[in-house]
This record gives sequence, C-alpha cells and structure tokens, in this order.
Amino acid sequence: MRASEDHLRAMMIGGLDGDAVSHAALLRALVPLLRAFYRRRMPGGEDDIEDLVQETLIAVHTRRATYDRDRVFTAWLFAVARYKMIDHFRARRRTCPIEGLEDILLAEGFEDASNARMDMDRLLADLPAKQAQAIRATRIDGLSITETADRAGIGESDVKVSIHRGLKALAARITGERR
Amino acid sequence: MNTDTLIKNLSAEVKPVRRHAVGRRIALGILAGGVVTAILIAIGLGIRPDLDVAMHGYSFWMKWTYTLSLAVCALFTVARLARPDAPRLRRLRWLWLLLVPVCLLAAIGAMEMARVPSGEWLAMWLGQSWKKCPWLVLMLSAPIFIGLLWSFRRLAPTRLRAAGAAAGLAAGSCAAMLYCLHCPEVSAIFVLTWYTLGIALAAGAGALVGPRLLRW
Repeated sequence: MRASEDHLRAMMIGGLDGDAVSHAALLRALVPLLRAFYRRRMPGGEDDIEDLVQETLIAVHTRRATYDRDRVFTAWLFAVARYKMIDHFRARRRTCPIEGLEDILLAEGFEDASNARMDMDRLLADLPAKQAQAIRATRIDGLSITETADRAGIGESDVKVSIHRGLKALAARITGERR
Repeated sequence: MNTDTLIKNLSAEVKPVRRHAVGRRIALGILAGGVVTAILIAIGLGIRPDLDVAMHGYSFWMKWTYTLSLAVCALFTVARLARPDAPRLRRLRWLWLLLVPVCLLAAIGAMEMARVPSGEWLAMWLGQSWKKCPWLVLMLSAPIFIGLLWSFRRLAPTRLRAAGAAAGLAAGSCAAMLYCLHCPEVSAIFVLTWYTLGIALAAGAGALVGPRLLRW
C-alpha cells in the first residue's frame, strides 16, 4: 500500500518535532516509493537502485531542516531523489536519461519509437524464452525482481541470473552487429 | 548495509528541528564569517581613524545602504536556493530588485558629477584606492563564504552553480559592508564601480566553486 501525501507529511512533521517513532515510520514508508521512483528512471541494476535509495534516506534525514512545513512533502522528497540520481550519474560520468523520454519519442518520431520496439522484439526473440521473459518483465514492464519471480513461478536468483545472462548475450550481439 | 538497519540507525537520534531552521543556519554562518572578516579588517587594514566623524556624513551611509541592500537581496536568494524544491531562477523575479540599489547609486553618482568640474571626474572615479578595493573586497569575502559553506552542510541546494553564485554575492556584499569601516573613499561612482566589481568577483568565484563545494 502506498502512503498518501497527507500521511507522509504528518509523519515528517512528527519527525521534525523530535518524534523518533514517527521519523522511523516515515523512512520505512519512503523505501517502496523511492525504489519505484528510481526503477522507473534508471536502467541500472538493483544494487545501484538500493544504493540510491539508502543515500536518499540519509539525505532526507540529514537535510530534513530544509523541508518547509507549509509546502508539499512529496515535491520536496522527489526533488531530493532527483538530485541524488543526477549526482549518481555525474559521479559515474554516464549519461542521464531524460525524464519523459517516451513523450519526446512520440512527439518527435513515431517511426523511431516503433522501430526501436521492433528491434527490441527481434533481439529478445533470439534469446531463450526464460531470459527474454525476465528482461521484458523487469526492463520494459518495470516489474521488480520479486514480482517477476512470482509471475514466472521461479526463484529470485534464477530471475537475476537470467537477466544477467540475457543482457550479456544481447550486448555481445549488438556490438557484433555494429562491426 | 541493510536498508532496515540503516533506518534503525538514522532514527536512533531524532533531534527536533525548529521552524526557520534554514534562516537560522544561514544567519549563523554569515555572522561567524563576518566576525572573522571584521577582525581581519581591524588588525590587517585598520579601522579608519575618523570613523565617528564619517558616521555623521552622508557618504558613509550611502556606501552602507548600498552594500546592505545588495546583501539582503542576496541572502533571500541563498535561502530560496538552499531548499531542494527551489523555484527555477527565472521565476525568481524579485532578483530584479538587485538593480534598484545599483540604479539609485548611479543616479547619486550622476548628481555628484554634475556638481564638480569635469576635470575632477577622473580623480573622483579612481579615488586613492581603486587598484586595491575590488581585490580587498574579494579577499575579505572569503571568511564569510566559508561560513556560508558551513551553513550549506545541512542544507540541500540542487542548483549548485546558482547557489554558489548567490552565496558569493552575499559574502561579497557583506564583506563590502564591513570594508566601509576601513575605506576612506567618498564618491558614489567610486563605490558603484569598484565595490560592485569586488562583489561581482566574489559572486563569480562562488559560481565557479559552487558545483564542487556544495555537492552533497
């Protein structure tokens, strides 16, 4: 269950007033929110996402004085989360995905988007079914490892290994095609 | 570390946070830096000996008002940029207020120039200390800037270059305010040129180092 803005804000204000129980409840409630936030925006692995979630929790704790009690809490939270994500990419000197890329693709060229999807289907079709399914579920449909494992009726580590092997095979194929 | 353990550790000690904690933190940083700058001026440069006479004249208050109004504007901007959900810079329309003291001082400068023969304009503009003034303002702003860096350690700026520039601007104008205690210059165009240049240098330096020093 996702906590609502009012609920989160009440817990945050409780924490600001010095209530440790309320503060702990807030941090726990933020974990699924932040996981979903980063998962939707980052192609990276689960480890990266968990690192970011923890860093964001620490920032929420140490910088909580900058939350203005009269303003929207989730706006503050996601501003912190977005900053942490950009900082994460900057530290690793990688490119940052643009928010709302799907919209830009739709507006700028439906053809490119559908070509990309066709390419993706073609590439995934060459993989063993289990690997393709795991990649599709986690990377395209945005499910978590646990959800994917439940859906396919296999273990979590099996899903992780499938994703890893599948991506590796895809990467090898793509670099081969480019040459 | 496990996320649950992390949460347990973080919520082990939850100190209450007062309202206006951001403002307090910035004020404390500025004050601490300002004290250091004031001591540096008193020891290194010396307070002007005729300060009590000068405080009755208008040019002292002109300089003071000019630098103070810049400092107030800059500090409001710092306080806004210290929060992660700060509005975009172009939405900070009241930043244009910064131009009000500049224009007023320019008007005073023009009136002063109209009253003296044009042969004296150059002497009025350069004064006795135009070569030192901007650099002294820049150097004296360093302790205040460091004070603000300390403030930022608990704050959460997300636009680091803008926050650095605003902090530099605030530090520069506060340093210029304190520098008035030493500086014997009297003309408005001197202040308009060389003080402003020093403050702008401080803001530029802040913008330069902001992304590196304000990261969190």
